[in-house]
Amino acid sequence: MQTQSRSGASKGTSPLFGSMKGATGPLIGLILLCAFLTVATDTFFSVRNFLNILDQITVLGIMAVGMTFVILIGGIDLAVGSVMALTMMVLGYLNVELGVAMGIAIPASLAAAALNGLVAGILITRFNVPAFIATLAMMSITRGLANMITNGQQIIGFPAWFNMSAIIRYGGFLTLTVALMLVVFVLGLLYQRYRYGGRALYAIGGNPEVARLAGINVTLMTVMVYVVCSVLAGVSGIVLGARLDSVQPSSGVGYELDAIAAVVIGGTSLSGGTGGIGGTVIGVLIIGVLRNGLNLLSVSPFMQQVVIGAVIVLAVTAETFRKRK
Amino acid sequence: MKLHKILMAATACAALLSPVGASAEGVKKIGLAVPNLQADFFNQIKLGVENYGKEKGIEVIVVDAKNDTATQVSQVQDLMTQGIDAFIYIPAGAAAAAVPTRLAREAGIPVINVDRFPEGEPGDTFIGGEGVNSSYQVCSEIIKRAGGAGKMVIIHGQKGTTPEIDRTEGCMKAIGENAGVELVDQQWTERWSADEGFAITQNMLTANPDITMIFGQADGIAMGAAKAVDVANLSDKVIIGGYDGDGSALEYLAKCEGPFVVTATQSTRRMGVLAVDSAIAVANGETVPEKQVSEAVLTTCDNAAEFVANHP
Repeated sequence: MQTQSRSGASKGTSPLFGSMKGATGPLIGLILLCAFLTVATDTFFSVRNFLNILDQITVLGIMAVGMTFVILIGGIDLAVGSVMALTMMVLGYLNVELGVAMGIAIPASLAAAALNGLVAGILITRFNVPAFIATLAMMSITRGLANMITNGQQIIGFPAWFNMSAIIRYGGFLTLTVALMLVVFVLGLLYQRYRYGGRALYAIGGNPEVARLAGINVTLMTVMVYVVCSVLAGVSGIVLGARLDSVQPSSGVGYELDAIAAVVIGGTSLSGGTGGIGGTVIGVLIIGVLRNGLNLLSVSPFMQQVVIGAVIVLAVTAETFRKRK
Repeated sequence: MKLHKILMAATACAALLSPVGASAEGVKKIGLAVPNLQADFFNQIKLGVENYGKEKGIEVIVVDAKNDTATQVSQVQDLMTQGIDAFIYIPAGAAAAAVPTRLAREAGIPVINVDRFPEGEPGDTFIGGEGVNSSYQVCSEIIKRAGGAGKMVIIHGQKGTTPEIDRTEGCMKAIGENAGVELVDQQWTERWSADEGFAITQNMLTANPDITMIFGQADGIAMGAAKAVDVANLSDKVIIGGYDGDGSALEYLAKCEGPFVVTATQSTRRMGVLAVDSAIAVANGETVPEKQVSEAVLTTCDNAAEFVANHP
């Protein structure tokens, strides 16, 4: 109680807002970006466009939450794009080809995703394979499995409500998929801030050996983090399937890099131990707003690649520069 | 329902219709969604749309999905936000997503599909190359030049896409007609690219050094295959065919040397022009044919030079 009121008074923010710490730079960047786009285009600043942006970041947003946990403990997960594709294909195969009800097909496909995370986690903790290599291998294996399910073909023919969940805006505002993303954001923030496990992640990222000596079950936590990251990648795959009304094994190529970029732009350090979900939410929004804004400005596709790369560099150097001071 | 009627009417008066020269009234801004501008084929279509749009005083907004369906859906949402008057849609990936078409229908604007169209959700018209017959011609030419017999391989495009399926069908027909031709291997690329063509061909030549015929389903693949054949010192023994009529491939063919000797040149620029004209026609309430075919032209050393000077 005492500590809470002290930090609250000195910073003038709520405890939850405290998890935005370290993300002030990105937040300012986001606000500047929005201000610029509001002036530069007459289509950016509208409720409809903001709702579009929320639609557009659902997949990346959900995936980036899992990636944040992984990067917080000093790990990396390169397999999320492939895990996403595998989850989609398992879902499509169960629901469309075998006629299994969605209520069973969705948990089953997420179980497949969890299994991937479990294997990666065990490789990393039990067999001491570096996270980069373990998940690089899983990326390839999982992509291959996803392709094998239908021999590379897409699957269409989901029930109508599935696509509608990504299109109908309840109360004129929230699609089911956007609501799901917001729930994941809030749960992530609460877990990181208020649960023992959330704080343990920072300890492991800071120094795994010290964390172990302090009584934290580092092995179990690490495995669980990779499982959670994979399940969230699976959830984002289901969201993508709903958005496209189809699933294909070539989905999500390169998404792991987008997710890592969002986490890093949001101020989480790749070496682990600092950062958090709050920053990642900002990072995801920056990427979403930037892509949307560049399209609205009719910037040529080749130029867009240059701008997005430049923004990543800018965000990260600004952050390291600020820390050095 | 209404769409169905329009399509029926469109087919009925297809013979009477000539969209060329329609007035641009009512269409000020066109959105063009392409799968991947790294591929020369799509780049040519884009140039066709852009140049012709400029002529007509139409603003063209191009978005590039980099082969990712989800990215494309987001980009199409953004196009709608910008208030485009017509939408030229080339679906990305094997799963031609129906969602962009639905978004455009919601906004009540014409949808013109080029090269591919989403299953179950076609646009107002489809402008496509004719893959089966042209690839039949390419493969027949390869077989003829190789003396009508020998070992052949096919390097496919991205598995499951419409062009990949059509080009396979056409080539298989040519192989079937020549009893002396033996299809010893087939491989699929992910991106129709030259580096994949190169690597796959090297492996194929290692497994079967006596291959004499290679069909690459895109010029990029064929160029890569030609490089691999050069490296293996087999340039005078192997005949390679490609497809698409990319700028760099046409220049290669015009030189009349090397193993890559035949391709089918698609009228990509013309497809772009046709798409803009169709968009204007639909916006003005005119009817357009359900399907407009733009034939590819068999291209060899003899006619490549003229296509280099002036891409169709």
